[in-house]
Amino acid sequence: MPVCPRCAFETVETLHSSPVPDVWDVLQCGRCLYTWRTTEPARRTRREAYPEQFRLTADDIEAAPEVPAVPPLRTPA
Amino acid sequence: MPYDDLRSFLDTLDKEGQLLRVSEEVLPEPDLAAAANAAGRIGEGAPALWFDNVRGFTDARIALNVHGSWANHALALGLPKHTPVKEQVAEFARRWDAFPVPPERREDAPWRANTQEGDDVDLFSVLPLFRLNDGDGGFYLDKAAVVSRDPEDPGSFGKQNVGTYRLEVVGRDRLAIQPVPVHDVALHLRKAEERGEDLPIAITLGNDPVMAIVAGMPMGYDQSEYEMAGALRGAPAPIATAPLTGFDVPWGSEVVIEGVVEGRKRQIEGPFGEFTGHYSGGRRMPVIRVDRISYRTRPVFESLYLGMPWTECDYLVGPNTCVPLLKQLRAEFPEVQAVNAMYTHGLLAIISTRKRYGGFAKAVAMRAMTTPHGLGYITTVIVVDEDVDPFDLPQVMWAVSAKVNPSGDVLVMPNLPVVELAPAAQPAGITSKMIIDATTPVAPDVRGNFSTPAKDLPETRQWVTRIQNLMAARG
Repeated sequence: MPVCPRCAFETVETLHSSPVPDVWDVLQCGRCLYTWRTTEPARRTRREAYPEQFRLTADDIEAAPEVPAVPPLRTPA
Repeated sequence: MPYDDLRSFLDTLDKEGQLLRVSEEVLPEPDLAAAANAAGRIGEGAPALWFDNVRGFTDARIALNVHGSWANHALALGLPKHTPVKEQVAEFARRWDAFPVPPERREDAPWRANTQEGDDVDLFSVLPLFRLNDGDGGFYLDKAAVVSRDPEDPGSFGKQNVGTYRLEVVGRDRLAIQPVPVHDVALHLRKAEERGEDLPIAITLGNDPVMAIVAGMPMGYDQSEYEMAGALRGAPAPIATAPLTGFDVPWGSEVVIEGVVEGRKRQIEGPFGEFTGHYSGGRRMPVIRVDRISYRTRPVFESLYLGMPWTECDYLVGPNTCVPLLKQLRAEFPEVQAVNAMYTHGLLAIISTRKRYGGFAKAVAMRAMTTPHGLGYITTVIVVDEDVDPFDLPQVMWAVSAKVNPSGDVLVMPNLPVVELAPAAQPAGITSKMIIDATTPVAPDVRGNFSTPAKDLPETRQWVTRIQNLMAARG
């Protein structure tokens, strides 16, 4: 199994396989959830070709803001 | 004759020469998105695209760019395909006045034919999913009509919301959703989360063409999109009851996905190339658990390409952004003639108006910025005189070039609200806003030298018709 092209995480799951056998798989990163099809261009599927501007790190994921923010629980009157 | 489902509209597009069937095999990526992207570069007569020979799939039927030209938008409203844009918007505004038109309930919905439930749910087995833009975090559902109810008033038909929100497929039975805080689904989610509850949700895909238009339309919180669809169709909108949530959903949908937004949970989402022509992402967003999928036999998967404008998205939400603003402004200022808010869902609006007195045009612009949609979108307003057509950009540029004295006619107001996706905002969600008053000053605003305008000759309108007829007769 390849590493995640976006965050280089090594745990990748197969979400789906092509209805025509052995044409492609849809893979998903276990950390950043990046999802890709194995037949996509290298710029979307290979770590070394993945654009710098779209790469993510564990810190980026940790620091990502909540949108919308989870509101405070309303306590019953 | 209104369309009750996507299929009947695709038949009309086909007959009108506005549906291009691509029969040769294509790759799911990058071909599907690149073809839809290309449709936006072809121009005004671009067709909808149909693909059913996609490598690796055995049973894919994909419709793209269904609303992606003025011709297709006209046909969606049941108008002749060559109807000019300004007339499409004017007709849209006329039909609006019939609101509300109660829907018609039909319980024989064709999506009842097939069902997946519980552990059997697998979005990938029903939908031929694919990526749109290079930097997208995954595969998206971006043309769904999403139905939710107010948790504090679940019996209210008017507060039941139908909206289009970006949905990322993050698992076989998982979707991430972007509820922009200014939108109704965010209000519903907030109320559910304050109560510590999940928010039930129904996601409908592949709808009749008017349903897609009203789902992307900025409407009042307690106004029903179904009742607006009835007004725009000129006939009641057919609805049916979704089996799991009990929500009202379009009768003619190809696919109905039901589940819950899991309360108080957020997960990394995106990025996604947005209607602003820029990606947004790197945020933690709410997650939907899918519990049931109902779908027509041999479902059609409808999707929409968006990226650098213009794309299908701009045609889809152009007129439906202009008309609510026009109606809201006219309610207080009957002098307003027309509104063109077709640029980036209304981040910029052009308003033509008569002037009640000096300074009036600037006041109209400020009101536009404080309408429900204007609060979160309108960042620049250009105001023009009543004889300038806001849909005719060369005329608008003439007004800006000849009538604007920047020191008195350009106003910049700092630190106002805007959608977080607006790329120029700083910080996200906050922007300055600008009024460009390109109207002719009237008393007591006596600036400038506008006393002798060169108007079209009285006989010109007659000659326009005469020349057009002569040219038509020439063949």
